[in-house]
Amino acid sequence: MGVLTLERVSKRFDHVLAVNDLSFTVEPGTVFGFLGGNGAGKTTSLRMVLDIIRPTSGRIDVLGRPPGRVNAPDIGFLPEERGLYRQMTALDTIAYFGRLKGMTPADARREGTDLLDRFGLAANTKSTVDKLSKGMAQKVQLATALVNRPRLLILDEPFSGLDPVNQGLLEDEIRRMSAAGSTVVFSTHVMQHAERLCDRLLLLAQGRKKFEGTLDEARAELPARLSVVAKDDPSRIAGVESAEDRGEAEKGWRRWDVRLTPGIAPGDILERCVAEHFPLRRFEQLHASLHDVFVHMVGSAEARP
Amino acid sequence: MKNILLVAAREFRQIAGMRSFWLTLLILPLCFAAGPLAQRFIDKDEPDQVMVIDRTGGGEARAVQQRFEIDRGRDVLTELSRYVQRHHLEAADPSALWAQHDRWYSDADVARFAASGGLKPAQAKIALVKQKQTPDFEASKPDYEFVPVPASLASVPDAGLDNALKPILKPAGKDAKAVDYVVLVPASFGSSPLVRLWANRQPSSSFVATLQDVLTRDLRTRFLATQGVSPAAAQSATAIAPALAISTPPPGGGARESMLVRSILPLAAAYLLMMSLMLSGSWMLQGTVEERSNKLLETVLACVSPEELMYGKLLGTAGVGIFMIAVWIGCGIFAAYATQGAIADMIRPALDPLSSPGTIMAMIYFFIVGYVTIAILFLAIGSISDSMRDAQGYLMPVMLLILLPITFLMQAVLGGNNGGMMMEVLTWVPIWTPFAVLARLGLGIPAWEVIATGIILAVFTTVEVALLGRLFRASLLAQGQRPSLAEMVSRIRSAS
Repeated sequence: MGVLTLERVSKRFDHVLAVNDLSFTVEPGTVFGFLGGNGAGKTTSLRMVLDIIRPTSGRIDVLGRPPGRVNAPDIGFLPEERGLYRQMTALDTIAYFGRLKGMTPADARREGTDLLDRFGLAANTKSTVDKLSKGMAQKVQLATALVNRPRLLILDEPFSGLDPVNQGLLEDEIRRMSAAGSTVVFSTHVMQHAERLCDRLLLLAQGRKKFEGTLDEARAELPARLSVVAKDDPSRIAGVESAEDRGEAEKGWRRWDVRLTPGIAPGDILERCVAEHFPLRRFEQLHASLHDVFVHMVGSAEARP
Repeated sequence: MKNILLVAAREFRQIAGMRSFWLTLLILPLCFAAGPLAQRFIDKDEPDQVMVIDRTGGGEARAVQQRFEIDRGRDVLTELSRYVQRHHLEAADPSALWAQHDRWYSDADVARFAASGGLKPAQAKIALVKQKQTPDFEASKPDYEFVPVPASLASVPDAGLDNALKPILKPAGKDAKAVDYVVLVPASFGSSPLVRLWANRQPSSSFVATLQDVLTRDLRTRFLATQGVSPAAAQSATAIAPALAISTPPPGGGARESMLVRSILPLAAAYLLMMSLMLSGSWMLQGTVEERSNKLLETVLACVSPEELMYGKLLGTAGVGIFMIAVWIGCGIFAAYATQGAIADMIRPALDPLSSPGTIMAMIYFFIVGYVTIAILFLAIGSISDSMRDAQGYLMPVMLLILLPITFLMQAVLGGNNGGMMMEVLTWVPIWTPFAVLARLGLGIPAWEVIATGIILAVFTTVEVALLGRLFRASLLAQGQRPSLAEMVSRIRSAS
């Protein structure tokens, strides 16, 4: 049974259909990437999961229950737009959110102290938030999401606004949570993070699901590409859709950028080259990046580097 | 419920952590402390010096001085009587003049008091019955002190006194003591009514009136004597005066004053409600705006529902308001008991309304419901404002709408006005009902009116909380420009 299931969920704001008939399931222990450009419906979907807003139609199931605050003790949430109570101390802030998630005061403070220690903020336990640097405040915010050791961690654009050090810290925490058996769902429009972290991906465009699957399955959606060095034009080989001459590699040999017909594997082409005595000096498969897949699926207008 | 309490506790701590909270909280007690101190500075330390140059032989000067001494004796006797009444010390000597309170002390009474030894023997008797913690009686300082005429002035003719008195009225040396009043009774007094008075400032009207009274009597006695009336009969004729039997409600001067004293507590409740609401409400508003502008609402809303957040905020702010009021009332009671003065005299009748359980219940009900009625307006403003500047735009009209009529209301009650169209309107329009009913409780408001306005207020507050609660919920995560009225109505509808 999935940790999180959405079935035909739609959300309409006045005349705007923000989420359109969205269905997916997140299995326990996976790191699930929720990808899409700005306005794709990622934040709206996550807010519905947290019961901050209600869907217009469809069904949502979180940890076996409908969305609601009853799930708060099992969920950690880091919103895209972050802030803290400026006059509260770092530890009080973490403990407060721990208490709101059903923890006892002692547990919340103990866990808060451990997290601050792990994030290198042990000396700032009693500092008020307005006295912390931006990077420190970001760590405190992350700690508020992790304080209850959530079974389901939901992160909305977690890397936006983080400095490189905190980006690394967040990636480590996501891996740590996943290793500990928690499920992590995070939205992002930065594909490199998703490539590094996600077990499964969901691509969203204009509120609709465009793709759901593993990274390899996503790459398979794009026609394979080869970089070859050959004497002749490879486009005569069956299964090659096009071949672009990239100039001379060495005397008598040219470099070719080859695009295969969808459904044809690079191994098939290599086999045919051998069978047809097609001379080759180099045969390299080019892996499509997630960004390429994203551009391919949703168009360049919604894609961001 | 647990989340509501957690939000309320955080809200309370946040406000209690503000410097402005403690400053505001301490202003009232400081005023209480500063009051008696200021009184000490305002009170005159020294009595006014009076010199009477009597060129008629000395009889007029003696008569004037005697008059002032009798008045002074009456003041001491009255103060002593009040002291005895306040501390229930009549047992010291039930037949003594100072143990009889509801009366005006005549000149004869004052003379009798002086003849019995004056203050000292009275204090000795009182000391036998008074308890240890009861403070000793201290008579106020006399207003006037008579000084002898210097020998150097005796030979100065009347016309030369203007110059001769200058160094006496305004002495050059810093430490030299000025004479405040110099009265010249010329040798011709009797045949001529002229008497001259020099003063080193605007003379006090009571001094002039007393002086005039003494000299007028003397002129009348002289006149009657010229008409063939015997000097004794003439003297008696001028002393004829009605004997005033005075009945007073315990301390105060009459029915209206009594009503005003009874209104102190309800009026104070209305005033404190207004003060604590305005202060804690604006702090709550600040907190809500901070949550919106700091973008932390989404984190909070993932853990608590908008309703829990709203009720928690209301509860926390109400806690702040009630804490402030408790501190102020505590300081007031402490000041009243510590000073044992006029405030203590007022407190007893002011507490009269508390003898009726209905009045107590009405005060508590209108105070708490009134708090919620107004506080939720602040909360709604906070939820639709991205910054304090935004909030000010909504806040000013709301504040004016609430405060201006209340200012008129308080003035009306202080003026003893318990009726009229305005008072009725303020009583029946729910946003002003709590203030109007609280303020009128002391003056007397029909029970049916209290119950009816209470029901209307409850219905209004329920509807208000429901509608503004929707606005709060719908506005929490909304962004963009300040919503128009139409937009607010649309949010209230969409959140249903």
